[in-house]
Formats: sequence, C-alpha cells, structure tokens
Amino acid sequence: MEVKLRIRRFNPEKDQKPYWGEYTLTDVEPTDSVLELLNRVKWEQDGTLTLRRSCAHGVCGSDAMRINGRNRLACTTLLQAIDASKVIQIEPILGLKVIKDLVTDFEAFFEHYRSVMPYFVPATPVPSNGRERYQSQADRARFDDTTKCILCACCTTSCPSFWASGQYVGPAAIVNAHRFIFDSRDGATNQRLNILAEPDGVWRCRTIFNCTPACPREIEVTRAIGEVKLAIQQGAR
Amino acid sequence: MATLVTTITETLRYRGKIGQWSWVFHRLSGLGIVLFLALHVIDTSWAAFYPELYADAINEYQSPLFTLGEFALVAAIIYHAMNGLRIIFLDYRPHLWHLQQKAATYVFVATAVIIVPVWGMMATHVANFWGDDPEFASLGDILNTQSQFLIGFIVIVLVALVLSFLYSLVAGDEKKAPKRASQIDAWLWTFMRISGFLIVPLVFGHLAMMHVISGVFDITAADATVIGTSATNDTGLAVEFVGERWDHLVAGVAIWRVYDGLLLALVVVHGFNGLRYVVNDYFHNPIVNRAFNWVVVFGGAALIILGMGALLAGVEETAFNIAIDKAGISQTFNTWLGG
Repeated sequence: MEVKLRIRRFNPEKDQKPYWGEYTLTDVEPTDSVLELLNRVKWEQDGTLTLRRSCAHGVCGSDAMRINGRNRLACTTLLQAIDASKVIQIEPILGLKVIKDLVTDFEAFFEHYRSVMPYFVPATPVPSNGRERYQSQADRARFDDTTKCILCACCTTSCPSFWASGQYVGPAAIVNAHRFIFDSRDGATNQRLNILAEPDGVWRCRTIFNCTPACPREIEVTRAIGEVKLAIQQGAR
Repeated sequence: MATLVTTITETLRYRGKIGQWSWVFHRLSGLGIVLFLALHVIDTSWAAFYPELYADAINEYQSPLFTLGEFALVAAIIYHAMNGLRIIFLDYRPHLWHLQQKAATYVFVATAVIIVPVWGMMATHVANFWGDDPEFASLGDILNTQSQFLIGFIVIVLVALVLSFLYSLVAGDEKKAPKRASQIDAWLWTFMRISGFLIVPLVFGHLAMMHVISGVFDITAADATVIGTSATNDTGLAVEFVGERWDHLVAGVAIWRVYDGLLLALVVVHGFNGLRYVVNDYFHNPIVNRAFNWVVVFGGAALIILGMGALLAGVEETAFNIAIDKAGISQTFNTWLGG
C-alpha cells in the first residue's frame, strides 16, 4: 500500500520557522512501524531528515514523537494500529526545545528526573551476610508498575501543565520518584516527598489523564501521581 | 503568556482523550463562574450599602442579555460541580483510574440530564416575566454599568502591575524564585477538594432558590412570598427581598445569613485559588506573575470582607427608605416589618 507522511521539519541553521515536509512511500505493509517509514524517507528521499532512535524495539525510549496527534514511540507504533489511510502526521514532542526536525533537547527533562533522587538510598546497612535486602512479594509489587519507565518523555510532553510551565517536574519524574517512594527498602522517602511537595511538584498536576494513554509501557501514570499526592498528605504506606 | 497561546493551540491539536476536554471545560466554566461571582458579591452588597443602586442591578439581571448569561452560568456551575466530584473521587482513589474515561462521559451526560429540566423551569420564569411586558434595562444602561466593572477590573490589574514593577525596582527580582516545600500548596489542594464537596449542596440549594424553583424575576414580585421565608415582599423591591431573607430567623438564627456567609467564604477561596492556579500556569514574567497573584489574593480577601460586611450590616431602615424613595412607593419600614 501507499502512505503519505507529513513531517514537521526545522533546521535552526537554515529555517526561520518550522514547516511541514510531505513524502509519499509505496510498498508499505500494515505491519511496518512508523520508525521504518521514517528511516525509508531518510534513506531513500531526504537524508537531511533528523531523528533519534537506537534500539528500535521500545526499550531505549529514544524515538518518542507525536504521531497523528498523540505521543507514541515511532518504533512500536505499527501502521495497522493507527489511521494511515489519509496521511500520517509526525512532529516532535512538545515542551522541550527542538534541536532539529524530530530531535528535542532532553536536558530539561533529565534535570527534572534527577531532581527527585531517582536512585536507591538504603534504609538499612548492608546485611551482615553481605547479600541482598529481603523484600516480600507484596512489597515488591507495590512499585512494580513504575519500574517499567524508559524515560522516553511521552507522558511529560503530553501534559498541558508541562506545556504551560516547563518548571513543572512532570509525570515522568514523579513516576520515577514513585518507584523509590513506595520501595520498602528505601530510606529517602520523606526527602522525595518534600521535593515533590514544592509548588512545581505534584500540585501542578490537574488530573487531566493525558499522560496515561501516552505511555508506551502502559504505566498507570496518573495513578502513580495520585498515590504520591496522597503520600504527601497522609504519608507513604 | 506565550505558554497560554501554546496550550490553547496545542490542546486543540493534541488528541488527548476525554479527560483533556473535561479539564478544558472545568477551567472555562470555573473562570466564567469566578467572573460572575465577583460581580454578584459586589452587586449584592449594594442591598446593604447602596440600596439605590441595587434596584438597577437586579433590573439589569432581569434583562434578556443577562438571562442568556444566567442560563450559561447555571450550566457552567452544574458541569463544574459534576466534574469536580469526579476529580475528587479519582484523586482520593487513584487505583480506580481506569474508570476515569467512563466517569468523564457520565459527567457530560449527567450535566446534560440535569440541565434540561433546570433550563425548562428557568424558561417558564422567563416566559411568565416577559408575558407581563416588563420594562427591561436598556442595552445602553447595561453596557454603561458593566463597562464600569470592566474598567474597575482593568484599573485594579494595571495598578497591581505598576506596584509590582516598583516592587521589583526596590526589592529586585531574583532570577529564580527560591523553591521551598511549603505546606500551603498541599493544604490548598486538600481545601479545593473538601470545599468543592461542601459547595456542591450549598450552591445547588442557592441555584434552586434563586434561579430554578423561583427565578431572578421573583426578587421584584410584589406581594409574593420571599423564598426560604414566611414573609411577603410587600413593596416588590429587591432590597426588601434581600432584607426579608437575611432577617428570617429559625430558632433565633438568621439561617440565610449563615448560609450565604458559608457559601461566600468557601466559593471565594475556592474560586480565587483556582484563578491563582491559572495565573501561575500561564504568567511567568515575575512582575506580571506577582501582580496577578496580588490581585487574586487581595481581590479574594476584599470580596469576602465586602460580602461578610453586607451580611453583618443587613438591610437597615435607612437603606430601605432610600430604596422606597427611589422607587416612589408610599410604604414605611414598619409595614415591612409587620408584613
């Protein structure tokens, strides 16, 4: 089958402002991913098209973009899953500075990520046998969902509160804080809750629910944010 | 400001699910309600402080232009209440997030289902009133009064901007406001939800009395029973209507003053804090942001003081006589009390 692509192009060294580039591809299969189409445009039609991708299997989180109006990973989005009948519209995720075409600057995003202490702070000294700290299956399950984050920024850049203010720490950082806040072995819960209780922390979330369907890992993002809000109010359980 | 434009255009472009639209309507309805709230508290305080103006205000509320706005206002309040309950529910039960799309749909359906009979009843009041061939406030008068409000709001904002600019000259704007984990935002988050929950029955009762069961037109109906009391509005003056309500005692308590005072305090804090959220979302220039925050905080406080002042002062004899003089009716305060 034949598909048309509309891709948001912008080269800051050349272009005054972004524009839509249009490309037509033939011999396309419904099982092709959007990333494969983008690669074909780059390799067969216009080598200047710039995008970020690495593993191409939905693990590295490099190729988040807005496809047909919704944030997704290009590599895990198959044509049969979207409406490819008219034109597939592809643009960079919103809220981070565009470096070129579909590549955005993740530095602000990672700064928010780092601000929530996204690493294990042991609550107890190393066990005397030098081995792991035990955790019940129930305690492990408490934060299982939020371990799945690949930091692709699909959720954060789908959030109208983040569009409104890049100062907002954003869904992804809260998800990664959640992963440690609800870890029974971790000892920095209160520090993280204090960080997220700041004006640019969880209170900027308006429970809009754009982030949840945007997550390619199907993390229950808004739920995680809600649990952190309640933990700030009532203490983590 | 730039992010306000981005948010508007991109919300229209982003294919968020229904929750995104719930949020859009929640914000828009909230902003509309706050605007009316400010006008309404100021107007109603005139019953106590400027009785000669109060009749004109009610007369304007009874004009077709405001009737249109009244229908929109009631719809906005019903939607904001329903969706607010959905937000409260999901915020306190995050694990039920998967119900949110259904809940958002139910909110739209429930709003529509409630609006139909409510608008129907409001329409009968309108039809009755228009059937009597009333004298409406002229469009010119309405624009004249309302433009004064508009100019007043603009002046307040401009003054705040100038003061904020002067403040920045004296105190200087730090490049980035110091971040601190304050309890205020956590406290206000909880307040928004608890107050929202309490406001719903209060405001629905208020709407039922003033817009649905009896309408804005009944405020000036002579010899009609004043809703929520056993008294009659002998003169048919709006001032008497307000006075009878506020002076109505049940077991020695002026219940409508308590009711109005509670509603006033909850709604103003809830509404103006909502306004603060909008301001802080979209206005990032430190001078503008500080100015708007001042307007919100001092504006909200002023409204509460004004409203509470009117409730405490009540409609006094002098106010009543002024209203009577203006209306050219021969009545005395004593017959009002007697009625």
